[in-house]
Amino acid sequence: MTTTSTAGRGAGRPGPAIAPARSVVERLRPLLMVLASLAIFFVLWQFLSTFVLNPYLIPPPTAVAAAFVPMAETGEIFKHVSISLVRVVIGFVLGSALAIVLGVVMGRMRVVYELLDPIIEFMRYLSPTAMIPIAVIWFGIGENSKYFLIFWGTFFFVLINTIAGVMRTPIARQRAAECLGASEFQIFILVVIPSAVPYIVTGMRVAMASSFMSIIPAEMLAADSGLGYLLQTAGMLVQTDRIFVALATISLLGFITDRLFRLLVDRTLRRYMAFVSAG
Amino acid sequence: MLKVESVTKIYGEQEASYLALEDIAIDIADGEFLCLLGPSGCGKTTLLNILAGFESVTRGRVTLDRRDIRGPGQDRVMFFQDAGSALFPWLTVEENVNFGLKLRRTPKAERGPIIDRYLTMVGLDTHRGKFPTQLSGGMRQRLQIARALAIEPEILLMDEPFAALDALTRRRMHSFLVDIWQQTQKTIVFVTHDISESILLADRIAIMGVGPGSRFEDVIRVELPRPRDPGDAAFGEIYRSIERQLALEESKLGDEAG
Ligand SMILES: Nc1ncnc2c1ncn2[C@@H]1O[C@H](COP(=O)(O)OP(=O)(O)OP(=O)(O)O)[C@@H](O)[C@H]1O
Ligand SMILES: [Mg+2]
Repeated sequence: MTTTSTAGRGAGRPGPAIAPARSVVERLRPLLMVLASLAIFFVLWQFLSTFVLNPYLIPPPTAVAAAFVPMAETGEIFKHVSISLVRVVIGFVLGSALAIVLGVVMGRMRVVYELLDPIIEFMRYLSPTAMIPIAVIWFGIGENSKYFLIFWGTFFFVLINTIAGVMRTPIARQRAAECLGASEFQIFILVVIPSAVPYIVTGMRVAMASSFMSIIPAEMLAADSGLGYLLQTAGMLVQTDRIFVALATISLLGFITDRLFRLLVDRTLRRYMAFVSAG
Repeated sequence: MLKVESVTKIYGEQEASYLALEDIAIDIADGEFLCLLGPSGCGKTTLLNILAGFESVTRGRVTLDRRDIRGPGQDRVMFFQDAGSALFPWLTVEENVNFGLKLRRTPKAERGPIIDRYLTMVGLDTHRGKFPTQLSGGMRQRLQIARALAIEPEILLMDEPFAALDALTRRRMHSFLVDIWQQTQKTIVFVTHDISESILLADRIAIMGVGPGSRFEDVIRVELPRPRDPGDAAFGEIYRSIERQLALEESKLGDEAG
């Protein structure tokens, strides 16, 4: 182990094989780039709104922040955030749960799939926004119509992904389990559902993002609280600074929720998320 | 003994039907190593699926120790070419082997030693905590082998298990498989379209003709002592005679296409 090889650094050197530590700069690079991106964006925005564009139409960041402070002090913004968030979460959980159950059945039982798929193929084009009028008639302008609309938006994304995941479970994996002694039911529970998890989770992530999009029109048209309502009233009063506060809040909320969801998946379902490539 | 009696397999119905196998017959003795060799699309996988019980026969019968094969059973285990999709990616190496033991209700106390034995046999005992994605192609195949052997089947059905491996790994897997076979006395039916591979491994080689209506053109016994050497003169002779036979088959295919 004391060769003086010239075939590259470290060749023949004794000791445990450890990947060389990446330099601090290298490791912090992604974070630094995000910060740089945001800094450039805000500086440019501030400059353009103040000196080039009409600051009333596009309020600079400082004005938006100034509008935010009283909204935070009175708790107004947090109230709207929590109301919207609860609506999204309830509709999302209900929609996902029902979609997973139905998707798993549809993916596995051919008759059920054949009977329901044509209907779903048509209904999936009805966005939650298109369903607002009927939702209000059915459920009133209270919480239930919001749950329903988010449910509607979530359901189809998760359903279609769940069906795909179940159907794409490799036949070799199912047969292997069968050879090892698994019954039809055991194959379903122990092989098919775990194999579908990555698809289901992907569907849920897309649905989550779309829920944050569909809650806004729902609250604009049929609610007296929530971020969409805030947006709507600010718009009626032409308070551009408050509109920008609401828009920034919506982005941030969607972003944070998606990160939390990913973290949760990583904590609980990590081992199911690996796609095995061929070979 | 695994007995295949004048098996015919037709896929589909009426005009859309395809005669995959016609009048196939062979007796596979306990402990025998049989290779199924033939051009692509000749029906090797079909026959293996029939032996495994995944496909039914259209005519004829298949029996194991005089009992009809009606479906998959734990006395026969199939190996898939694509180990990546045959393994359970959410289970560790150890848990993959444990899967079959749990289903068979092997007492917990016995499972540990069984897992140890077979993981050691395939040289994966130091990788037990890894997931299949973290293994190389050859390691995945060895894991598939350990998982199957752990439930102690009598028959291993292998569908081109090493086709995707590089030459070196493949050679290692060959001698490894022969070792295991000699140690455990299993019956092995091994599908391949590689002539060398079949001569290297088999007691007998069943050469299949092109479809439709593929049948056994010839079944030859390889009498060479093991371990076998592809550089051997006798090896080369068998190789050339099989090659001639397959070329004849290929030319039939050409006539049809032309
Ligand atoms: N489920 C099926 N339905 C209809 N035809 C099939 C089906 N499975 C296989 N066949 C046909 O049967 C023939 C034999 O297929 P098989 O997969 O057994 O070939 P093979 O010898 O394993 O080929 P390869 O070496 O390429 O794997 C092919 O012509 C194929 O098109
Ligand atoms: Mg095949």
